[in-house]
Amino acid sequence: MLRLVLGRLASFVPTLFVASVVLFLAVNVVPGSAARSALGIQATPQALKRFEHQHGLDRPLAVQYVEWAGKALQGDFGTSFQNAVAVGPEVRKRIPVTLQLAGMAFLVAIAIAVPLGLIAGFRHQTGTDGVLTTLATLFGSTPNFWFATLLIYFFSLRLGWLPTGGYTPYLEDPVANLQGMLLPCIALGVVSSGLLIRIMRTAVIEVTFSNFIETARSKGVSNVRLVTAHVVRNALIPFFTVSAVEFGFLVGSVVIIEEVFRIPGIGSLVLVGIINRDYPVLLAAAMSITVIVLVVNLIVDLAAQLIDPRQVQVAR
Amino acid sequence: MRFSRRAGLGLAIAAGALVALGGASSAAAQEGKRGGTLVAAFSADPGGFDPARGPSGMSHVVIEQVYSTLLNLDENAKPYAGIAESWSAAEDGLSWTFTLRPGLTFHNGEALTAEDVVYSFERILEPDSGYAYRSQIETIDAVTAVDDLTVRFTLNRVTGPFEIYMAFPGSSIVPKDLVESGWDLNAQPVGSGPFKFVSYTPRDSIVFERNGDYYEEGRPYFDGMVYRVISDPTALSNGLKSGEIHFSNEVPPKDWNAITTQAGMVDASIEGSRYFWMVPNHERGTLGNPLVRQAIAHALNRSAIVRGAFYGQATPIVGGVIPEWNWGYAGLEEFKPEGDIEKAKALLAEAGVAPGTSISLTMVSSWPPMMSMAPIIQANLSQIGFTATIDTMEVPRYWDEVWGPSNFDLTVMYWLSPLADPDDFVTNTYATTSAVNVQKGGSKKMDDLMLAAKSAVTIEERKALYRQQQELSLADMDVIPLVNGWVLTAHTDRLKNFKPMRTGFLKTLKDAWLE
Repeated sequence: MLRLVLGRLASFVPTLFVASVVLFLAVNVVPGSAARSALGIQATPQALKRFEHQHGLDRPLAVQYVEWAGKALQGDFGTSFQNAVAVGPEVRKRIPVTLQLAGMAFLVAIAIAVPLGLIAGFRHQTGTDGVLTTLATLFGSTPNFWFATLLIYFFSLRLGWLPTGGYTPYLEDPVANLQGMLLPCIALGVVSSGLLIRIMRTAVIEVTFSNFIETARSKGVSNVRLVTAHVVRNALIPFFTVSAVEFGFLVGSVVIIEEVFRIPGIGSLVLVGIINRDYPVLLAAAMSITVIVLVVNLIVDLAAQLIDPRQVQVAR
Repeated sequence: MRFSRRAGLGLAIAAGALVALGGASSAAAQEGKRGGTLVAAFSADPGGFDPARGPSGMSHVVIEQVYSTLLNLDENAKPYAGIAESWSAAEDGLSWTFTLRPGLTFHNGEALTAEDVVYSFERILEPDSGYAYRSQIETIDAVTAVDDLTVRFTLNRVTGPFEIYMAFPGSSIVPKDLVESGWDLNAQPVGSGPFKFVSYTPRDSIVFERNGDYYEEGRPYFDGMVYRVISDPTALSNGLKSGEIHFSNEVPPKDWNAITTQAGMVDASIEGSRYFWMVPNHERGTLGNPLVRQAIAHALNRSAIVRGAFYGQATPIVGGVIPEWNWGYAGLEEFKPEGDIEKAKALLAEAGVAPGTSISLTMVSSWPPMMSMAPIIQANLSQIGFTATIDTMEVPRYWDEVWGPSNFDLTVMYWLSPLADPDDFVTNTYATTSAVNVQKGGSKKMDDLMLAAKSAVTIEERKALYRQQQELSLADMDVIPLVNGWVLTAHTDRLKNFKPMRTGFLKTLKDAWLE
């Protein structure tokens, strides 16, 4: 177990290095002027030159990368081009917000996908299965921002039950925090559950028809025990692996949802970084998402190992 | 110096009248209710809070709350006393003296004296300051502290809008000692304005608290304010509709009717100082010919643009770019609001442009009004015989590849004049030296006219010169005026005594209260 954790942590180093190089290149290769985005239409050529010099944008990319990476390793992500906000502390402040959003959305997705997926799997090739599979396709193919708009329209504007957006820190007011998080989590979670329902269903069907279930059944294992101890437990293994990947997607999809619901997480920083070509902001925000996805994958691998110890061999 | 001699004549009369004006402010209005927190919504993030830097309009609506200026502007852009309780100009118009209110303090408790005023201006006058509004202060030769409460400005040329400049957020007074100690005002502004800065969270909010030591007794009324940054237009509208947001002067035009017809919502919109113009690149093909530019100007159906791109919330510009509410308005009626295709065709024929000549229109994809007006403009161009195409681009690329290098046939731009002085409507767009002159147009005659108009003393003189300037601008058709957008302001009816400003500034919030 310890070896697994240490091994995985060691593999973070090359992954983060490659990710940072790719991100840095992508950010700089994309056309668009950071200087003009920051200074506006009245900026004179001299002012633009001065800005680029001040921020080192007139030097070769490799030099810029080494300097950025060197400082980033010491925890210094620089300051935003748009305003004097220090990027590192700003991102750190936002990580819990995005984690709460993605985490709660993930729970919503699981809470929908596990029961519906199990039912569809056990009742496969029946009318129930047909309805549930159609529902899963519908969920999965709905754009989350569109679904979010519908939720706001009904629950906030029509019924007035929940706020249209905004964020209250949990420690400040837990009830307001949960009220604000509910709609965005449902919007993200329902859309995410589409894929997970189908994975759960397929896993159940595969396990049900495998030889060891036949053996167990012929040994006279009770139906209840067969389902809980054998089918569900084995079906959860592929489900877990896929959900880890889905969680990564979730962290990525918060970008638009945070914008729609005015939640100050990392996603909204990514967006503002792209729109304004605010490189320090964009790099720090994108790198933090990379780290989150890596850590979540590690956690899920560990959890999967608890369910199925054979996974350790695979993971090594 | 030719202008200052002529200018000197009228100034003696003006100077006498000004001292009397000094004490007058809107403080005489009825008493309001203290308390509450105003939640206002804006679409963009600010670009820092140092008055010497803050290049964006969003920076300025924060800066104006945190800092003070020598003078303030009322809702009609008329100057009244700020931290200067009286001020006067010398007879030659080349020297202005301001007397500060006694006992002023910054938010950190330090006293605000004439030294701070001198320092604030020397800071932006520095050649390397990078101050974006240098044209406002370029006529200042020296700023001196006569005593603790008296400051004298020496000018090298009579400057018509000088008082307006003294009320501009860029001319805010900063605490000298604090800034010299290395404090970064761009991140943590400290001034002497009605509200103290508490915090800024990018893409989320700016939080203010009431300054209990503000020099206007009893003001401001709110305990605090929160400026929410909501860039998604629908999210902004939803916040207003649900009551979570009390106020916005950036209501999305598409939702204007739905919001202002809702119970409990007040429509406080006015025609503002944001105008849109089409930029024809004078170095591209036939666009170097003024006849062709005039033809395009006459071909455009501005009424259709107002309906299609602004949901009716704009005014077609039928003459010069100075709007009707401004004293510099010339009343010229050059264009028909719905366009004049026959006249346009005749002008094109006179210019010898062959039918089917291709022309392209480059627009920013993330600016809804631009995208909505593009097909209307394209149709108008086709009607007079051009083969018109539309190119679109996201905004950072647009700055870099289109605007910066003047790489376009036609494009559209807008300018929100923060000053509401006629000079500010025309100089940016038409001066040969302006960074905004990406059409590569302009003439010495035009530059001279604008300088003369800026340096004349009386309003009548200035008005006559701006009329000439606007006539010339229509003859040359350097740029093609389109429409003047309204400041779409809506707020809860609990907000009382709010007076919207043409410039979109919000200094008047200090006089408003929540019930």
